Amino acid sequence: MSPEIGARSSVARALHFLLLVAVTALFLAPLLWVVSASLRAPGLAPPRGIDWIPDPVSLAAWERLVITLPFGRYLGNSLLVVAIAVPVSLLTASMAGFAMAQLAAPLRRALVLVSVALLLVPVTALWLTRFLLFEAVGITGTPLALVAPAIMGGSPLFVLLYFWAFRRVPAELVEAARLEGAGAVSVWWRVGVPLVGPTSVAVGVLAFLLFWSDFMSPTLYLRTDEWATLTIGLRQLQQLDRSDWPMLMAGAVLLAVPAVSLFAVAQRWFLRDDRLAETIGG
Amino acid sequence: MRRPPWLPDRWRLGLGLLLGPYLVGSVLLVAIPGLLSLGLAFTTYDGLTPPVFVGFTNFRLLASDPLVPVALGNTLLFIVLAVPLRIGGALVLALLLQRRRSGAGTARVAVYLPAVIPDVAYALVWLWVFNPLFGPVNLALGALGLPMPGWLADPSTAKIPFVVMAAFTLGEGFVVLLAARKGVPAAIYEAGALEGGGSWALFRGLTLPLLMPWLVLLTFRDIILGFQWTFGPATVMTGGGPYYSTFFVPQLIYEEAFDRFRYGTGSALMLLVAVMSGALMVGLWLILRARRYGDVA
Repeated sequence: MSPEIGARSSVARALHFLLLVAVTALFLAPLLWVVSASLRAPGLAPPRGIDWIPDPVSLAAWERLVITLPFGRYLGNSLLVVAIAVPVSLLTASMAGFAMAQLAAPLRRALVLVSVALLLVPVTALWLTRFLLFEAVGITGTPLALVAPAIMGGSPLFVLLYFWAFRRVPAELVEAARLEGAGAVSVWWRVGVPLVGPTSVAVGVLAFLLFWSDFMSPTLYLRTDEWATLTIGLRQLQQLDRSDWPMLMAGAVLLAVPAVSLFAVAQRWFLRDDRLAETIGG
Repeated sequence: MRRPPWLPDRWRLGLGLLLGPYLVGSVLLVAIPGLLSLGLAFTTYDGLTPPVFVGFTNFRLLASDPLVPVALGNTLLFIVLAVPLRIGGALVLALLLQRRRSGAGTARVAVYLPAVIPDVAYALVWLWVFNPLFGPVNLALGALGLPMPGWLADPSTAKIPFVVMAAFTLGEGFVVLLAARKGVPAAIYEAGALEGGGSWALFRGLTLPLLMPWLVLLTFRDIILGFQWTFGPATVMTGGGPYYSTFFVPQLIYEEAFDRFRYGTGSALMLLVAVMSGALMVGLWLILRARRYGDVA
């Protein structure tokens, strides 16, 4: 490498780094404001201008939060919901996506169209009628009503994401396994699933977010506080005292932290897992 | 080994087994409840007494309601402004941050963050950012000697904070595109680079076509979401004002169906929204197919 090119690429690298810092700052600023707002003393006026560090820094909102709501129980319920719903969604969505990718054209196209049509149904159209359905089956008031969408993969979106990921798996790999006498289920699990790591990470992250931040299902399908989740807690904070927004902000931080932590861990796998890429490339 | 011709072979049986939960779940949880609800569009229903069939009356009622064109116009304008920003932004950020670089991990987490902050709290943030008197946006504009708009207080600018807020909440699209880009074999890019393609040519000739199915899917989803997303933020930031400039479709649906218990007209609106988003998607699809990006199914 000539020194000229070396110098230019180190300048490019520095510019790239500056760009990353700018992007980080731009997207991080709103969250910092939420955290800072949760640390303001009660009764203090909202911040004016760019007033990042409240004076005085007060943990009063966080203390009130812990006293006001049974947070341990809400957190436990939220964790229970995602612990069941996310793995089940991953399984059912990847199963369906794999099967769709293996089907021949007319049926495959029809299923893609059906999935897009399912996405089109407005969520508001499901509120009342799903309630009637859950009532008829007898699962209203139980956490089953909250995890129910997991049996359809969480969302048709997740199935479609898996479908396109599995379409990239070379047909020869599937053929070879079939010739050895493997059935569809075993080819899905042994050949398909290991090759779509990045998609599984992405769907896992999105499914976690879907169930973790689901606020309508617990509002509609639960009757008592027994199985209430963190989103219900946040809603209660909002209704309790509209002017106590430091406490609302503290609640929002509590709700956001687990989802962000999960992504912070998961995003490392995006870089590590390139098995499909290697299989095709090598 | 013989089997009757009507019996599917073992492979197809396995595929059916794999598809089963998704199909059954979708029918039970989306198709049937959705169709029932949309069927109510042709009835009057208050949630208490049984629905009564009234034909197209609800649609005639909507046609004579002056708020319907306002809400639809506002929502379509919001979609036209916000969706390209969200998809384009997610694509640029995913390509910028997909490589292993110092600082890239932190930046990825930061970009994802707004997607996980609860609506109500995030809307409060933007209420402050666009505060006409002491918000950072107007402080910066004032320092530069530029005019300082009233933003959410002024009907002519009130939609802009919604669009900006939506553009920052692109975490999900970002995750999807990041995963899609990581699934592309590096060898394809090496081959492209050997053929002497510059980075723009690689983007146009390789990255864009390879990511096209994901981009189409995300755009479709964003169009659908665009008809629904504004509900939470509007409740916190404006309540639909000033002068109905941020009165979007979900608020209209909510007020009809769940405030006034006119579930029939509410369902008629939902049906209208589903048809309109379907039409937008078909239009987009035809454009893409004409440009030969159509091979996604």
